[in-house]
Amino acid sequence: MTGLEFMFAPLVASLLLIFITVYFGIHVIEREIIFIDIALAQIAALGSAVSLVIKNISGEAAGHDHDSRTLLAYLFCVGAAFLFTILKNKKIRIPLEAVIGIAYAVATTSAVIILDKGAGSDVHIHDMLTGSILWVTWPQIIRLSVVVVLTGGFHYIFRERFRKVTLSYHGVDTGLKNPKLWDFIFYMTFGIVIVEAVNIGGILTIFAFLIIPSSISALFAKRWTTRILIGFLVGGISTLLGLYLSWNMDIPCSPAIILFLGAGLLVAVGLRAINKLFSHQRQSR
Amino acid sequence: MIDNLLFLAAPITVSIILAGILSYLGNHILTRGIIFVDIAVAQIAALGTMIGLLLGFAEESANVKMISYIFTIAVISIFALTKFKKQVISQEAIIGIIYCLALGTAMLLAERIPGGSNFISKTITGNLLWVTWKSVLSCLIMFILIGIIHVIFRRHFIKISDSKNGLPYSLWKTRAYELLFYITFSMVIVKAVPIGGVFFVFTLLIAPAAAATLFTDSWKKRLIWSWIIGITGAIAGMYLSFTMNISNAPAIVTLLGLIVFLFAFIKLATKRIVSHNLSKEKGS
Repeated sequence: MTGLEFMFAPLVASLLLIFITVYFGIHVIEREIIFIDIALAQIAALGSAVSLVIKNISGEAAGHDHDSRTLLAYLFCVGAAFLFTILKNKKIRIPLEAVIGIAYAVATTSAVIILDKGAGSDVHIHDMLTGSILWVTWPQIIRLSVVVVLTGGFHYIFRERFRKVTLSYHGVDTGLKNPKLWDFIFYMTFGIVIVEAVNIGGILTIFAFLIIPSSISALFAKRWTTRILIGFLVGGISTLLGLYLSWNMDIPCSPAIILFLGAGLLVAVGLRAINKLFSHQRQSR
Repeated sequence: MIDNLLFLAAPITVSIILAGILSYLGNHILTRGIIFVDIAVAQIAALGTMIGLLLGFAEESANVKMISYIFTIAVISIFALTKFKKQVISQEAIIGIIYCLALGTAMLLAERIPGGSNFISKTITGNLLWVTWKSVLSCLIMFILIGIIHVIFRRHFIKISDSKNGLPYSLWKTRAYELLFYITFSMVIVKAVPIGGVFFVFTLLIAPAAAATLFTDSWKKRLIWSWIIGITGAIAGMYLSFTMNISNAPAIVTLLGLIVFLFAFIKLATKRIVSHNLSKEKGS
């Protein structure tokens, strides 16, 4: 049974990740800011790159000074949160997703320029695409659970306000005071979660966790609680199957999980189509 | 100096050609809100190349290119067919899901091809500086042909792009135009990405159109302005990269991207001043 013990930590980490990303995923889908996690991860990576350059200029010994790198990564995320909040404005007629996309492209290419690597592919976050959820350690899980509990709790307490901000993206007048402030807080907390989650799960897995379960739940429900439950269920089952398959067949786990999520989406679309067909027949009778 | 100009002539020409077609397509993409479609298409094309290699064809062979094109068109057709009267899952989310699944599959396949992971990151960089006149010419011919198709069907394409809720035509008529639009679009992307790299193409699509949309609503004005911004940005970025000795595609991307942010902030600032003055006048 050593295999099961070995899989225990990845499983706990995945469930924690799914729990928080399914919730944020509904916000992401509703706001139509699909690629924000990739953009934020790249902006954080640019922060790390800048800290490397600063260190080089100030002539410090190139040690593994992890703290200053994380600090700058977070600072850049806060900057991005600020940018997205300001540019979400009726006067700016371009969709926020376009702003996110441009920020992503600029972050990637300026990292290329800063680090002066002509080829460039090696500074792109592709290195952290898959992540290493199989090799997650318990200290990492503890750190992640602290982040999840803090941001999750914060979002739970102020859930109505965050929901209203997201609703206002559809032009609904919600009568919320200080919408800009709550929008900023949303992006800031989201940024923190993304940086921590991507460190463990890799960008692609987190991306899949964010959008696929919440897309599936959008097919069946409108209420947030129901959607979170459906998403958590689908995400949990796909992760279990994916981890099991990757362990048994020795394939990378993140693609396996993603493909199961994709399969789940297909099943959900099929179910919905059947459901529609039946209700159609009932109506015509 | 003359030597340098000769050396840069092909890259500059191809940048202008790319800016020409991409700035136009970008207006459609931006209006539809499917910002990341080109990154997804590039990823699908890379996956198609990997499938071709797995089938045993040689790299860079005509067969692999064919398979990549056919595969891309097949997947993008699925995307065109997911256009519904009432969109439960937004098209941008569908793009995200397709991108995610394509990348996941590519990572699985990469284990079976020697040097396979190169194909995943290959789309990122491009080879703007080493573009040959031959490929400049083939780009020009292909883009002119596609441009003619778009001129012929321009009304329909614009109508579909502009309709946020519901469809302008019957479901299948809309889907037929969508199919034509996305097939031509993905052919441009598959051609352009190996030359400029995925971020270069992405920025030329989105940034000029976004900068133009900040200031005007009309398609005609947006088109003219995004051409001006796109082409000037490409040339200025090329010049900057040459004088400051940084690589050219990243220089163009950063320049165009920052221009959009700059314009956006200028727009916000001017509006604020105007409304501030107005409220002052009212007060007095």
